[in-house]
Order: sequence, then structure tokens, then C-alpha cells
Amino acid sequence: MEMDRESGKLEQIVYQFRSKILHVILDSRVPSLHHRHQRQLQQQESLSLSRVRKTDKWFNLVLGDRPAVLENLNFSLRNLLDPMIIDVILVHNGSCSSSVDNLYTPSAAASGPSTETVIERWVVQYDCPRVIATPSGADTSVSYKKTYKKSIVLLRSLYAQMRLLPAYRIFRQLSSLSQTYNFDLIYKVSSFSHPFSREEEDVMKEYSFVPVEALPGHLCVSVTYCPTLSEFNLEPLVSLPPKIITDYVGSPTTDPMRSFPSSEKGVRATSFPLRGVRPPSSAPFQRPHSWSSGFHRGFPFTQNQSLGGSPPAYRTSPVPYDIASPPSDMYGNRIQNHRLSTLQQVTAYDEYQLSPPFSPSASPSPPTYLSSANPLLTHHRSETAPVTIPLPLTGRSSRYLSPNSSDPSRHSLPPLSPRSSKHDASSQESPSGIRSYRKIEALRAGESPSGLANHYSVLKVVKDSKDDSGRFSGLLSSSGSPRIGFSRSSSRLSFQDDTDDCEFSCPFDVDDVDASDSLASQNIEGKKASEFTAQSAGKKSQDAAVGILVHMLRTALPLRQDSSCYSAYSLKTECEGGFGTASEFYMPRKTADALEELKSYREMKDLLLSKSGARVVRKEEM
Amino acid sequence: MRTIIMNCEVCQLKELEVEHFEIREVLRCILHTIVFHRALGLVRPKDVDLELFEITYVQCGDVEVEKKIDEKIDHFISWVEKHPNKKSQICLSFYEVKSKQPSWFTNKTERLYWEQWYLNLNVTQHPKSHLGKSHHSKVVIDPGDSGASEERSSRRAAVEASLREVLFQIIKFVNEKKDHVPPISEGVIYFPYEITIPRKFQ
Repeated sequence: MEMDRESGKLEQIVYQFRSKILHVILDSRVPSLHHRHQRQLQQQESLSLSRVRKTDKWFNLVLGDRPAVLENLNFSLRNLLDPMIIDVILVHNGSCSSSVDNLYTPSAAASGPSTETVIERWVVQYDCPRVIATPSGADTSVSYKKTYKKSIVLLRSLYAQMRLLPAYRIFRQLSSLSQTYNFDLIYKVSSFSHPFSREEEDVMKEYSFVPVEALPGHLCVSVTYCPTLSEFNLEPLVSLPPKIITDYVGSPTTDPMRSFPSSEKGVRATSFPLRGVRPPSSAPFQRPHSWSSGFHRGFPFTQNQSLGGSPPAYRTSPVPYDIASPPSDMYGNRIQNHRLSTLQQVTAYDEYQLSPPFSPSASPSPPTYLSSANPLLTHHRSETAPVTIPLPLTGRSSRYLSPNSSDPSRHSLPPLSPRSSKHDASSQESPSGIRSYRKIEALRAGESPSGLANHYSVLKVVKDSKDDSGRFSGLLSSSGSPRIGFSRSSSRLSFQDDTDDCEFSCPFDVDDVDASDSLASQNIEGKKASEFTAQSAGKKSQDAAVGILVHMLRTALPLRQDSSCYSAYSLKTECEGGFGTASEFYMPRKTADALEELKSYREMKDLLLSKSGARVVRKEEM
Repeated sequence: MRTIIMNCEVCQLKELEVEHFEIREVLRCILHTIVFHRALGLVRPKDVDLELFEITYVQCGDVEVEKKIDEKIDHFISWVEKHPNKKSQICLSFYEVKSKQPSWFTNKTERLYWEQWYLNLNVTQHPKSHLGKSHHSKVVIDPGDSGASEERSSRRAAVEASLREVLFQIIKFVNEKKDHVPPISEGVIYFPYEITIPRKFQ
């Protein structure tokens, strides 16, 4: 009886040891898993070790919640005598001279050359002899305690070594939210593997941890890895490519009389081809993460990831019993939709060629957000380009006030992150037209104001730099969260409007927060009116913001060389008394155009108000 | 207090040639890595990226450990400034505290050292150079001196490679020597340790 109990403990140690190793390895090689871990860290109120889960207490190494996929994987390899082989595979999409072209012809990129290379192979095995001498009870008891202690030491060194191997750098690059690359890391867990070729063996190095005595056998862990990854042409892709907006209001084919959608319906925005930017997510009211690994660096993929990309070209693993990682699109990103649908298909892990996705609870779509009654936000989770109106310069940093930035890429806005949307929902703010993606460039070109619905502003919120650093430092202190670049300190994740393309990983999370901050600050002034009247003192700041926005757009270069229409627009008139008379406008502009413009400004104002907490319900026809 | 060094495992780490401004980062990296491997209580590992090198090391996440290590590094840097261009050494020792029956001739407690790590540094630059005392500053590059810049880069790469070797050396040592590690006490995160500058270097 005593013997059985002791051997049961040993089995448990071996089982948990394998699970823990799997967790350590995948957490530092699979960006999505790591992001989830980072999200959990951020969501925890404190890093107190008194509230860790039971699974975390194993081997005294707190790694965060163990994703269900790990349990499934370990369960599928529950025969403790079989080795557990974890392959870390580099998927390298063929380098294309024109990555931008791939955006418009995604199918071409998806069918481009893509190679998979095993860059690391971890083998975990409980090496047990066939003939087992029966140890005494006392020996067994002492034995499993020693085994447990030595396993703890081994796991410590494995954890540290994961960060020293070459693949870790790739993992950190992929974990960065500011760039997408022409490569990706996937994993494969199985009980056997194809041996390396002679050439591969010549290149790779091997390291074996000293086996841990686990009588009657030994726990053995070894790794075979590529010592250098320089021969792979791993490069970042163009992060914010331009895309032609076909329904741009300036287009002759666009109906200038198209009505401006109401706030209830939501603002339809043009989607961008997703570049695999992994939007961060965080608990409500928390500062979006900048990364992580932590450190720095949960960053689920929104459903909009599938908008611009082609269907994933998943290459099935040649090994029938492999449990591989989810497929990726041409940008090397996980397709969340695909993964979720995959979850439902998982029945027999042995023969399933896609890795078990995360449990629904780990879905990147925040449940609270999806259940929100806010259809606009739901709708706009697939949309892009939060727009913020700059506040009047009141001593805040002006680092972000640059609508006419010389960098064209900054005018293209990344997709809305669920974090920002989640923030909206949790703030109980109605869909913000500002954040929901208005492009006001129409004004620049003197276009019909009805086009405001589908245009994006390049404005960023003027924000308090102090808040930025404080928030980010708080996020990064606990871990090596994903960083921009590899050897840079967390200070670079503060908002520095420098030439670095990765000034911050999620600018529009910043904007969202700041937009809410700015609107919240405006809300303090008390906005009750529902009519757009610029002369009200209480609304002065918002109107001033709108005015500034309009002025900036007005002074920007027009898209069309139709200066007559552009110069006729009078901001001053608007500020003074709204759209008083149609005669204020230049003859070529119709009254309807002006009304459209007015409606658009009203809409913007409503959205600002709603953002600040005042629910403005507009029933007027737009 | 009586000190006993018996059956003590000793690890001499490979010597590192560092410049003054690199001392803090290098020492933090090495000391925390060793302590992490000897913090066998419940820890939440904390990844830290070095600023000067492309290396991520792991801390055990304990605030007291971080504070103590930083203090000792400050102490060491002060010593280095007083003894420039000298080879230096830091000793990280783990011990057990054994209470002893008090008597007329013996102290109440004694320390049983069971492991000692020797960090060997060769600080190559005078601390009061034009780089000043900034521990985190990067090397100021003269725009017109591309040759010196290349030399600096290659030197930096060499230091990084050496530091990585030292970290692998630590991992190898902790894996090979496990039997001497004392049992883990309940509620204790890390074994008691001390960081000292050996007398012969003082």
C-alpha cells in the first residue's frame, strides 16, 4: 500500500514534470501562448504568490494558467514511458521583393514558397528499465522527494536556457506587436519524430540536461537546436501598407449624396488588410501592453485578421500522429477563426493534424465585450483606424499631434484592437465615431462632407507623457514583455515620437485610452446639449477640438486640385454660428452638401459626447 | 559567528573583460541567474532584458533579492573605482544556518557554506574616463571615428558572447551538482546567501 502510494506520487511527478516542461517551452516559443500569459499577468491585481493555482505550484515555478491545449497535448501523450518530442518549427515565407504587392494579391503570397525548418527539438523522456527492482518503502519516500527537488533545479535551468538559445530571439520578434515578419514559429508535439538529415545533424548542436534520478528510472531532457539562424532571411514585412479605398468619397463613382450613417448603425469604415498586427488586449481600464515575455509582452487576434488575408494555406504535417500548431496566413499569423472552428473538430488527438486550439475561455475575443449590447463596437471590431481629435494644446506633449506627418505610413491606421474596443465597452461609452474611424480628409479635398463617414483621420491624441511612462513601466516591470527590438530597454516603449518605426506597439490603444481620457476630461465640463452649437461655452473645448481638426484638414493639401471648393469652406462661420446660411458656401457647393457636412459634424459631436458618457440618442435622419 | 566550509561546491566562472559602464548589467545578470537557480521556493520568474547586450536573464522576482544584489553591486563598483585597472572578484556564497548549543567557547550559530560562486571580472577602463560614471550609458561614438566604432562593436559582441558562455556555465554547473543542495524549507523562497569581495582582492 505504501509502495503503491509512493509510486503513485512518482507517476504524478513525472506527469507534472512533462506538463511543466511543455508549458515552459511553448510559453517561450509560441507568441500567442505567451501573449495570453502576459494578459493574465496584467489582469492579476497583484503578483502575490499566495493566490497561485495548484498547477503553478508544481516545481515551485509560477507560469500562469496552463492553457487547455497543453493539458490536451500532455493527455494525448499520457503514456509516461513514451518520449515527448516538442519540435519548434520556423515557417519561413519566401522572401518577396515586393511585400506590398502581396497585400493586393494575397493569394499569390499564400502560394509562394514557404519552408518549414525544425530549429529546436526538445525530447523529454522518462527512461525506465524493464526490470524493476522493488525498492523499500523508506527508500521510495526519500527518493521521490529528491526527485522532486532535482526536478525543480532542472526546470529552473531549462527556463533560463530557453532564453539563451537562438530561437528565443525569433520568438521575441514575433511577439512584438509593432512588426510583422515573413516568418513564424509553430510547434509540433508528438511521441516520435522524423530523424534529422545528415546535413541537419551536422549543423545542429545538442545539449542534454543531467538526468534526474526518478527511481526506478531517470527523467531525461535534451535539446537539439540550430546554433545560428542567420542563414534564414528573416525580415520584417511592410507594416502599414497603403491600400486604395475604393469607396472613398472623393471617387467619382461614390454617391456624394450618400447619407451619413447614424450612430446606432455605426460608422462604416473601410477595413485595412491586416498585417498581422497582434492587437493587445488587457483588462478593462488597463494600459495596453506594449509586450510580451516576460517582458515585455495577451494579445489575441481579432476576427478581423481574416479580412485582408487569404484563407490560410495550411501545410498538413506529414506525420499522422503529430499535433501541430494552428495554420497561419501569409503573414505568419494565427487565424483565430480557423482556430476556433478547429476546436470543435478536435475529437481524436492522435490523428488530428491541427493542434488543439485554446479553450474558448482563452479566446482572444473578450466575452464581456462580445456580449456587450453595443452593436457598433461589435461591428467595428473588424474595422480599423481609431480617430481622435486633438485637444487644444494645454501644455500636454505634442508628440502625437501630427496629422500632416511626413511619414505616410502613419496615416494608415492599424486595425482596431479588441483592447481598445473592450475599453470602450467597459467604459460604457457609446460607439465613438471618433474612435470608430472617420477619415476627414474629404475636407481637405473639398469633398462632400457626406464622405466623412468613410474617412480616417491621422490624428493622434495629445497625451500626457507622464501617464505613458507610468503605465508602460508598470506593465513591463514584471516580465520581459515583448519589446520592440531585442536589446532595448523598456524605456523605449514609452511614447517617443522619433524615427523609430516601432515607437509604440499599439498606438491606437494609446489613442483610445487617451481619447477616453480626453473625453472624460471634457465630460467633467458637463455636456448635456444634443444640438451642435459651437457657441456654447460648455462645449467650447469639444468644438475647439473639432475646429482644430477641421482647420488642420483645411490647411492640408487637397487631394483634388479643386481649390475653389476648398477655399470656400469657412471654418469661422461654423464656429460663430453653425451653418447659418447656405449662401455662406460657394456656389458650386449645394446646400445639400452643406447639410451633409453639418450632419457629419453633428455626428462627430454626438460621438464625442457619447464617448464622454453623455448618451446622445439621435433619431434624426442623417 | 563561526564559519564552516565543508563539502562546499565551488564554481569559478570564466573571467569577463568588461568596461566600467558594463559592470552593473553584467553583474546583475550573473548574480540573478545564480540566485534564480538557488531560489527553489515558490517563485514567479521575471524576465529581464539587458540594455547593452541581446541577452535575457531571469530573476526570481523577489524584491529583497533585487535590492540586496543592487547594493552589493554598488559596493563593488565603489571598490573598483578605488582600485582601477585591477582584476576583481565577487563571491556569492550559499550557506545553512545551524544553531549550536551556546557555550563559553562557541557562538550560538554557525554558517555552513555549501556552495560558492566566484565571478571574475577584469575592468579594462578607468571609471573616470570621458564616459563618466554613467552605468547605463552606451558608448559615445565619435561620428568621425568609424574604425573605433567598429572596434567597439566587435568588443561588445565579444563581451556578449563571453557573458552568454558564463550563463551556460552556470546552467551546466547547477545541473551537474545537485546532491549537495540542502532540502527546501517550507515557506522559504531562496537559500540564505551573501555576496562578498574576497580579501585577497581588497
